[in-house]
Amino acid sequence: MSLVGPLILATFLFCVGIYGVIARRNAVLVLISVELMLNAVNINLVAFQNLLFPDELAVSGLMFALFIIGVAAAEVGVGLAIVFNMFRNRASVNVDDVDLMRW
Amino acid sequence: MEALLDYAWLVVVLPLASAVAIAAFGKNLPWKGSELGIASLAISWVLSVLIAYQTFIMSPMEEPVEFSYEWAPMGSEFVFELGMLVDGLTAVMLLLVTTVSLMVHIYSREYMHGEKRFTYFFAMLSLFTFSMLMLVIANNLVQAVVGWELVGVCSYLLIGFYWEEKSNQDAANKAFLTTKFADVGLIVGVVVLSAGMFGLDTSTPFNIREINAAATAGELSTTTVVLGMLMIFLGCMAKSGQMPLHVWLPDAMAGPTPVSALIHAATMVTAGVFVLARLFPVLAQSIVVMNVIAVVGVITLFFGGLLALVQDDIKKVLAYSTVSQLGYMVAAIGVGGYTASVFHLFTHGFFKALLFLGAGSLIHAVHSNNMSDMGGMAKAMPYTFVTFIIGTLALAGFPLTAGFFSKDEILIAGEIWAGAGFATGHLVYWVGIAAAFVTTFYMARACFLIFAGENRSHHPPHESGKQMVGPLVVLAVLSIASGYIFSPVWTAEQNFETWTETEFITEETVYPFAADADEGGEAAGIPGAGGIQGDGVLAAGSEPSVLAAAEDGELTVLHGAPTWHFDLLALLLVVFFAAVGVAWKFYGKGPPDRDPTMQMGPVTTALVNKYGFDAFGYRYIVVPVRDTWARAASYSSNVLIDGAVSGVGRVTKNAAFATYRVLDQKVIDGGVNGAAFSAAWWSERLKRTQSGNVQRYAAALVAGTIVLVVAFAAAT
Repeated sequence: MSLVGPLILATFLFCVGIYGVIARRNAVLVLISVELMLNAVNINLVAFQNLLFPDELAVSGLMFALFIIGVAAAEVGVGLAIVFNMFRNRASVNVDDVDLMRW
Repeated sequence: MEALLDYAWLVVVLPLASAVAIAAFGKNLPWKGSELGIASLAISWVLSVLIAYQTFIMSPMEEPVEFSYEWAPMGSEFVFELGMLVDGLTAVMLLLVTTVSLMVHIYSREYMHGEKRFTYFFAMLSLFTFSMLMLVIANNLVQAVVGWELVGVCSYLLIGFYWEEKSNQDAANKAFLTTKFADVGLIVGVVVLSAGMFGLDTSTPFNIREINAAATAGELSTTTVVLGMLMIFLGCMAKSGQMPLHVWLPDAMAGPTPVSALIHAATMVTAGVFVLARLFPVLAQSIVVMNVIAVVGVITLFFGGLLALVQDDIKKVLAYSTVSQLGYMVAAIGVGGYTASVFHLFTHGFFKALLFLGAGSLIHAVHSNNMSDMGGMAKAMPYTFVTFIIGTLALAGFPLTAGFFSKDEILIAGEIWAGAGFATGHLVYWVGIAAAFVTTFYMARACFLIFAGENRSHHPPHESGKQMVGPLVVLAVLSIASGYIFSPVWTAEQNFETWTETEFITEETVYPFAADADEGGEAAGIPGAGGIQGDGVLAAGSEPSVLAAAEDGELTVLHGAPTWHFDLLALLLVVFFAAVGVAWKFYGKGPPDRDPTMQMGPVTTALVNKYGFDAFGYRYIVVPVRDTWARAASYSSNVLIDGAVSGVGRVTKNAAFATYRVLDQKVIDGGVNGAAFSAAWWSERLKRTQSGNVQRYAAALVAGTIVLVVAFAAAT
């Protein structure tokens, strides 16, 4: 099986995620972009698992993917909580408005 | 007991400690500090007696106790030591100095009672004693010079004790400057000797034992010995009052009488003779040195004694008698009478201290130094009278007193020396006898003027108190007893000679210039290279005398146990009674209207003017120095040297300012400030990267990752 397809997909998703994280102003969309990048990694992990151990019952790549999904869920939880507090304090979810930690 | 000698340094240190303690808190003590001085001297005295007992009775030793530590190491090959050397000679001096000093301390309590600088006086007495002991116990010449100079300083301070009077200041200055002038010679001599030692394999060129050993072994060149010892002798001349440098000694009478006793008996004038005795093995290498010493001594012993004839001041009579007696000691050194000289030093210390303290007792009673103010004191002051007469008899050498044994020993040394063919021996013998007449005469004159006739004082005389009479009695006993340790009544195995013999002056020691190179020199292990070879410079035509003490007629340094010389005894008795008789004729009935010593025409003129030494010194030394040299010195000091110094200072100051302005202000401060400013400048700009904007951080993170990835990719 060719790796090209999944890798291109993963790269595309990752780049979209990076763009989202850097360019979007909305904090919720930034979080979503992070999810995109995590899932791009998941695709990679699954693709390489399939490539390297096609016939065996080794599941290390899949296990990582599952972990990442779990971590992503937790991350979204924490992130949304921050966004919530942000909104309640500033009536805005624009990340540009949150620059208290500056010189 | 043997271990006791290791603690001999205590004898020296105790007076120093008491001097410091008296100076520090003496005034607050009940006896104003005098108890400290007396206590420390008493302990020192006991120790000295034990040391003397050890070195004399227990084991007369040839191997001295010496130890030292490195005072100032000058590199690996040259060390200044600080140490002590204890042998019989040291023990004799320790005993003499501590005994006399203790007596003077006790005596001074009453004599100086009520003086306003009482405490200061006692501090100085102790310091003076310490200085002399330091000189005596030194194991190297540098330390000896230190002690020597301290003695000079202390004598200066004590002679000028009544400094309110200009004449006393002058006397102190005179004493100080005269001795200091000669001390230059001493130091040069010490340096010359040690320079001679530098050629040898030693790291301690100043060590007295090593110098003596080298000299005895003939390793020092003739030049070193002659030049070094003559220069040292110059120092001894001033310190021990040899003509023509005796001029300070009579003037030193300006000090309090106990100080005079101390100076004349124990702590000052004896220093010169002691150093000569200490370095006797060196000077015995050269007949030239010995002749110079003998001649100077003979001149001093005779002409110094004559000066006492015309004095009215009792202390000046005694001062000139000291000059004369020191002449005997020095002359004895010059004619090989090592033992005789030290012995006379020993006995003279006691009876001269006795005489001075007796004179002090008289002065205390009549408030005048002049014999013309005394008279008839015998009844009023019986103790002073008897002890003073004993001292006088000892000084005059009356048979069976201490002075008799010691002075006769000197005369016999001269006789032996003459017998070995040296003319200076005759000189010492005959001039010594003539001077004995002079001594007896002026002392008899003094005694008649003081004790006989009617009282002429304005104060009714009274006997002094116990603290003054006590020392007089002790010293009177010693003035007789001290003679017997080197007399025919003492054993031949243990006497003063075996006591004072050192490792270099033993029974076998002979003179390199006197011994035939074949016999004596080699027998004693002396190659004789250091001295003048042959039969002696002055030996032509003489035959060795049967009087020479050694059995084979060979001339040895030590003369063996003394025997009776009844011919000399008879001669001296005649001289004594003649002198007393003449004195009785003139002075027995009280002071004559016309004092015969003042009626001798030009002789009297010469004596009253002290042979013109003082006038000469004033005209040709004091005046030029004061008016010309001092001005030149002041000019060179104030203008030349000060100018150079301040010039250097100014240059240094300007250079320092330039350095400050350029190096310090510009370079160093600029660097430091620049670092601070650039840090501020950069931080002002770099801080803007910390924008607080999360997305910029993320972008930077991404950019950094990309850079790293590219870099790693390029690397692989």
